[in-house]
Amino acid sequence: MKKDLVQKTTGFERFNHLVLAASFSILFLTGLGFLYHTLSWINTMFFGVHNAKVIHEWAGVVFSISLILTFGNYLGESLRFSREDSAWISSLGGYFSRTAEPPPQGKLNAGQKIFYLLIVVGGGLAISLSGYMLWLFPSSRGNILFGHFLHNIAVLLFAVTVPLHIYLGTAANPGTFRVMTRGTVTRAWAKKHHGKWARDLGID
Amino acid sequence: MALEEMDKRRLSGVDIIGRKKGLLVTPDLCIGCRGCQTACKEWNKLPGEGTVNRGTYENPPDLTPNLYNRIRFVETSTPDGLRWLFVSQRCMHCTDAGCIRVCPSPGALFRTPEGAVAFNKARCIGCKFCVAGCPFNIPRYDENDRISKCHLCSDRIANGLSPACAKTCPTGAISYGDRVDLIREARTSGYKAVYGEADLGGLGVLFAFREAPSFYGMPDKPSFSPTIGLWKGILKPLTIIGLAGAVAAAATHYVTVGPKEIDEGGDE
Ligand code: SF4
Ligand code: SF4
Ligand code: SF4
Repeated sequence: MKKDLVQKTTGFERFNHLVLAASFSILFLTGLGFLYHTLSWINTMFFGVHNAKVIHEWAGVVFSISLILTFGNYLGESLRFSREDSAWISSLGGYFSRTAEPPPQGKLNAGQKIFYLLIVVGGGLAISLSGYMLWLFPSSRGNILFGHFLHNIAVLLFAVTVPLHIYLGTAANPGTFRVMTRGTVTRAWAKKHHGKWARDLGID
Repeated sequence: MALEEMDKRRLSGVDIIGRKKGLLVTPDLCIGCRGCQTACKEWNKLPGEGTVNRGTYENPPDLTPNLYNRIRFVETSTPDGLRWLFVSQRCMHCTDAGCIRVCPSPGALFRTPEGAVAFNKARCIGCKFCVAGCPFNIPRYDENDRISKCHLCSDRIANGLSPACAKTCPTGAISYGDRVDLIREARTSGYKAVYGEADLGGLGVLFAFREAPSFYGMPDKPSFSPTIGLWKGILKPLTIIGLAGAVAAAATHYVTVGPKEIDEGGDE
């Protein structure tokens, strides 16, 4: 590692994020093809609707396993709320002004913690559980009706937040994308975005 | 939302209700001969199935993947004595069909130009969602987990023939024709409320009932689960609006407030 770079994520963390993102993309695309008949050509590209169903099911298995594996990386940190987190929320992360700067943040900021807990864990568990219900127990009427409903509430959550997650991890914050590709960030990036974490690492 | 609208227009039968074909079932005329059950099996090449004596003339006890139409024998005691009613049970070819609404595989369930709800086993992915979507508990599954149900003899009516069950009925208890004509006929014969005239956008299979529908073992107000309405009517359009909104919000943020640039110079 170059001297001026700081390690933010482990190799396993990045690999698992890639698996989660890839399975998510496959699920989202095939899911849109099932939900909107106007978009059924998507499933034609996934080798026809019969194969798309099988792909959707098994990508779901990969997604749910990958989801569980993220717990070790983020759950503990996300559940620890402190004063910087409330300050981050009241300044809206500094995203709605060119001048406002939230106070120095730990390894994850409040926005990341909320996204992780509500969307990734909450939405992820809801969509996985309902997916298994629909797949494995289709003979129960209540199962299908409730499972569908839950599945689609989670889809709505993802549809609204995942584009923002991608934007925040790329264009909105230059230097951030490499957290999930290379695992390292510049010292300046660490100080700007996660000042408290940088200080704990001894970066002045 | 455009996508939702396009789906809805394509799926619903509302635009064909005026020229929709249908069946009129008149239990008063039915003699319980079950010729329709047999004629249906014959035309659709459905094998017979062994059943056991359950102490009733009603047989078989339920619809199966090889039985699209069945006569229910309803025994009801009234102040005037016992009433024995024969009521045909089969797909109702709903105009607002719950089964089509929930089916994720376009073309597995589809509406024919005559307004029937037909199916294509080759496109069915066996998810069984349509069972939960149907207010009348009609779709059944064959040994390959593919849908099977009455399709209003879509192959016959497309060629100007009447459905096998209607054609074979010796008393006119099942009659086929333009839906509007069938309703008029039932009215002329003195039936005030025709079951299915307005339910679910108008059923393709109408019933001339003398009593309340529940008397014949039919739901008084047939409807599919409200979660289907919420799902298809609200969540489905909201999902695409939310997706587009999030992308638009990100783009707007980028060109207005702008990204959080890092002053790299200060660190090196
Ligand atoms: S089981 Fe077949 S016909 Fe029924 S909803 Fe699923 S794909 Fe459609
Ligand atoms: S009765 Fe059931 S299977 Fe037939 S069209 Fe209506 S919803 Fe579909
Ligand atoms: S319309 Fe045809 S498929 Fe339907 S019950 Fe009658 S004979 Fe059978």
